[in-house]
Amino acid sequence: MNKRFLYLLLLPGILFLAAFMLIPIMLTIASTFVQDGQLTLEGYLHFFRDGYFNRILFTTLRVSVVTTLVCVVLGYPAAYYISRTSARKKSILLALAIFPLLTSPVVRSFSWMIILGKKGLLNTFLLSTGLIHDPLEIMYTPVAMMVGLVHLFLPLIIITLLGVMENLDYELVLAARSLGASSFTAFRKIIFPLTVPGLIIGSILVFVGSLTAYTTPALLGGKERVISTFLYQNAMTLNDWQAASVIAVIMIVITFVVVGLMNKWANRLNPKG
Amino acid sequence: MKEGNRALSLYTLLVFIFLLGPLAIISVTSFEPGTILKFPPEGFSLRWYKNIFEVSMFMETFKTSVIVSMLGNLLALLLGVPAAYALSRFSFRGRDTLNALFLSPVLIPGIVLGFTLLRYLIVVYGLPIYAGLLIGHTVIMLPFIIRVIASSLANFDFAVEEAAQSLGAGRLYTFYKIVLPNIRSGIMAAILIAFLESFNNVDISVFMTGPGVSTLPIQMLTYVQNYFDPTIAAISVILMVLTAALMFIIERLMGFAYFTKR
Amino acid sequence: MALLSLEQVSVAYDNHFILEDFNLQLEKGQLLSLLGPSGCGKTTTLRLIAGFLNAEQGKFMFSGQDYTHVPVNKRNFGFVFQSYALFPHMSVYDNVAFGLRLRKLKEAEVKKRVLRMLDIVSLNDFEKRLPQSLSGGQRQRVAIARALVIEPDLLLFDEPLSNLDANLRVNMRVEIRRIQQELGITTVYVSHDQEECFSISDQVAVMNQGKIEQLDHPAAIFKYPASEYVARFIGFGNFISFENRNDEGEDIELSTKGFNFQAVKRLNGAGNKGLLGAIRPDDLQLLVNVVDSKLVSNTLPGTVQVSTYLGRSYQYEVETELGTFTVNQEMEEPFRQGQRVTVYFPKEKLVLVQ
Repeated sequence: MNKRFLYLLLLPGILFLAAFMLIPIMLTIASTFVQDGQLTLEGYLHFFRDGYFNRILFTTLRVSVVTTLVCVVLGYPAAYYISRTSARKKSILLALAIFPLLTSPVVRSFSWMIILGKKGLLNTFLLSTGLIHDPLEIMYTPVAMMVGLVHLFLPLIIITLLGVMENLDYELVLAARSLGASSFTAFRKIIFPLTVPGLIIGSILVFVGSLTAYTTPALLGGKERVISTFLYQNAMTLNDWQAASVIAVIMIVITFVVVGLMNKWANRLNPKG
Repeated sequence: MKEGNRALSLYTLLVFIFLLGPLAIISVTSFEPGTILKFPPEGFSLRWYKNIFEVSMFMETFKTSVIVSMLGNLLALLLGVPAAYALSRFSFRGRDTLNALFLSPVLIPGIVLGFTLLRYLIVVYGLPIYAGLLIGHTVIMLPFIIRVIASSLANFDFAVEEAAQSLGAGRLYTFYKIVLPNIRSGIMAAILIAFLESFNNVDISVFMTGPGVSTLPIQMLTYVQNYFDPTIAAISVILMVLTAALMFIIERLMGFAYFTKR
Repeated sequence: MALLSLEQVSVAYDNHFILEDFNLQLEKGQLLSLLGPSGCGKTTTLRLIAGFLNAEQGKFMFSGQDYTHVPVNKRNFGFVFQSYALFPHMSVYDNVAFGLRLRKLKEAEVKKRVLRMLDIVSLNDFEKRLPQSLSGGQRQRVAIARALVIEPDLLLFDEPLSNLDANLRVNMRVEIRRIQQELGITTVYVSHDQEECFSISDQVAVMNQGKIEQLDHPAAIFKYPASEYVARFIGFGNFISFENRNDEGEDIELSTKGFNFQAVKRLNGAGNKGLLGAIRPDDLQLLVNVVDSKLVSNTLPGTVQVSTYLGRSYQYEVETELGTFTVNQEMEEPFRQGQRVTVYFPKEKLVLVQ
C-alpha cells in the first residue's frame, strides 16, 4: 500500500475536522481555565457554588434518568414483540419506528404542545369527562419535557434493542425449553441476560441524548431550564461566553464519562468480549 | 403463552399509538379553518397550507435549509467518501483513532458544537454566518456519510478491485469503475440520511442565525414560541410527507438494517 | 409395542406440506437415523418429535401416551443442536446444570450429576470455561452432556457433526454411539451424511420429499436399496432399464435390446422389485477381451471414454449401447482412452429397484 495515497484520501477530512471541530473545542476547553490572564478553576467553582445552576443540573439529570427508565420500560417489550413477530409485521413496525426518528424534532415536540397545553387535547378531554375541574398545568414543566424526550428517544432504544434481539440465536430458547424451561423462564434466564448489553447501549443513547437535547426542552420546558437551554441562554441572551463555555465543557465531560463507563460495563457483560 | 403474546402485542400497539398518535393529531389539526389550533378541527380548510407560501420567512428559510443541506452534503461526500474508503480498505496504524475522530461529531453534544462553532468560526475566525452554517452542517453530516458508506463497503469484496488492478487498471480508474458502481446505492442512502440529519438540525443552526440567514427548523421554533395558529401544523405535514418519501427511497436502496446496527 | 410412533402426521409451512400422512415407529434403546438431502423433511420430523413445532394433523405417541400436545418443556427429551446452542453467558458447568436446576434438584446433587456427565464426555477440567473459549469438538460434547444430564426419555440429534472438521467428525460419531449404547438411550439422529448415519445407527430411514423411502438396517439399505431414489442417494451410479423380467427360474432373467442379464433373488424381497437395474461403480468389472454379449449374459461391449485416477483405483467412463457406465477398478496398468472393453455385471451385485 502506498502511504502517500492513504494520506491523500484521509487528510482533507482530518484537516477539516481539526480546523472546524477539534481546535475550536480545545480552545473552548482551554478558555475555561483562564481568567484575566491567570490559570484558574474559578469558572467551575463559581458554577458549582451557584444554587441556580445546581438546580438546573439536577433537573436535567432527573429528567434524563426518568426519560431513560420510561424508554426502557416502554421500548424493551415492544422491541421483543417486534423481534418475535412475522417478517411482514416486523418490517412494517420497524418502518413505523424509524419514521419518527427521521422526522424533525421540532415537529415532534410541537405535537406535544397541542396535546399537553393548557387548552390542549389532554385537558379538553379530561375536563369533558369530568375527571378534573381545573386544567392540569403540564406544559412548561419537567413532566412535559420528559414526555417529549421519551417520544423523541423511544424509537432509538426500540431499534437498538431490535438489532440485538435479531442477532439472538433463537435456538438458545429452544434449547432451554427442551431442557424443561417454561417460556417465561427461558426469557428470564436466556434472552434477558443476553440483551442486557444492548439495553445498556440503548440506555446510554437515550440518557446522553436527553441530557444534551435542546429543541424539546426549549419548546416544552418554557422557563424551566435544563443544561442545554441554559447554555443557549448564556451564550445568546446574556452574552456570557465564559459561562457558556464552562457549561459546554461540563456537558462534554458528563457525556464522555457516561458513555465511557456504560461502554465498559456493557463490554464486561458481553460474553463474546 | 398465547395470552402472554396477546398482552405483549397489545402493549406494543399502545407504544406505537404513543409514538405515532401525536403525529397523526398534528396532521388532522393542520386542516383547521379557524385561527387557533384545535382538536378535532372545526372544519376542513387548506388556508394554513396557503399561508406557508404567503409568509416569505418560511419560503426563505426553506430555501436556505435546502441549499445548506445540499451543499454541505456535497462537501461531506468529497471529504467522507475517500476517508470511508481508506478506513475500510486498508489497515494501518492509527486506524481506530481516525475512525473515532470521523465519528466523533455525533458524540459531542450538538448544542456544544453549535456554540463552539459560533464562538470560533464566526467570532474568532471571522467567517460569514452563512459559511459557518455550511461548515457546521458538513461536520455533523460527515459521520453519517462515513458510517453508511463504510457499512456498504463492508459488503464489498476487495478482491474484485485487485482483479481489476491485475488487469492493468490504475487505482483511481479502479475506484471509479469498480468500487463506486458497487456502492452506489450505499452512497445514495448516505446522501439521503445525511440530508435529513442536516435538514432537521436545530442544535447547530440555532447559533448560526443572522440578518437574512436562518433555517426552516429555527424559523419554526421561533414561530411556535410566538404564535399558536395551525401554520406549523401544516408545515409539519409537508415535512412528514417529505420524510416518508425519503425513508421509502432509503429502504429501497439498502433496507433498514443500517438503523438497527450500533 | 414401539416406544415412539408418529401416526398420519402432517406439517405445513405457508400452505406447503413438509410432511404429509407421515408414519414412523421406533423401539426402545434403538438409534434411528433420518437420512436425506436438505428439504426432505428430516429436520421437520425431528423438531416435531422435540415439540418445537406442532402437527396440523396426526398423532405423536410416546411410551403409550399421547404426546401430540405436550409442550416442549414437559417432554423430557434431550436435543442436540447443529449450532450447539450453548448459552454464551453461562459457564460449561452452568450450561450442563441448567436442566437439573429447573428440575429443582439440590445443588449438591446437581454438582454430582454435572461432574459425572462432564467425566463421561471427557471435559473434566472445563467446568468454569465459557463456551466461546472451547473448540468445536468440545462445544459439541458440552451440548451432548447438557442434553444427557437430564436423563432424557429420548435423545434427539440435529446434524450434530456438520460443523466439525472431517477427522473430528469420525471421532465424535464413535463417541456418540458409545455413550448412546452405554446409557441405552433411545435416539433419533438427523444427518445428510450417509456414512455417518450408516456407521452409528441400528435403523436408517432414507427420506425424500416428506416421505420415508426406505427404513431398514444400515447394511440392508447399503446393499439392497428399495427405490431408484435411495439407490442414487447411496451411490449406485449405474442404471439399466430392462424391458422384460422373468422370475420363474433360480435367478431373475432380464433383457433389453437383445442383451440378457441375470440377478440373484433375495429372500426378503428388498432390492428385488421393478425393472430398473442398479449397480455401484465399485461392483462393475472391466474385461480386456471382447466377448459376444448377445450370447454371454451380464456383459456389455463398450469403449473407454474418460479415465481418471482416484488414488486407490482408476475410474472409467465407458460408453456402451445401453448408455455410459462408471466403473471403478484397481489395476496396475490402466485402460487407454478409446480402448474396446467388456463391462461385466456380477449377478449378485445387480439389484432391481422401482
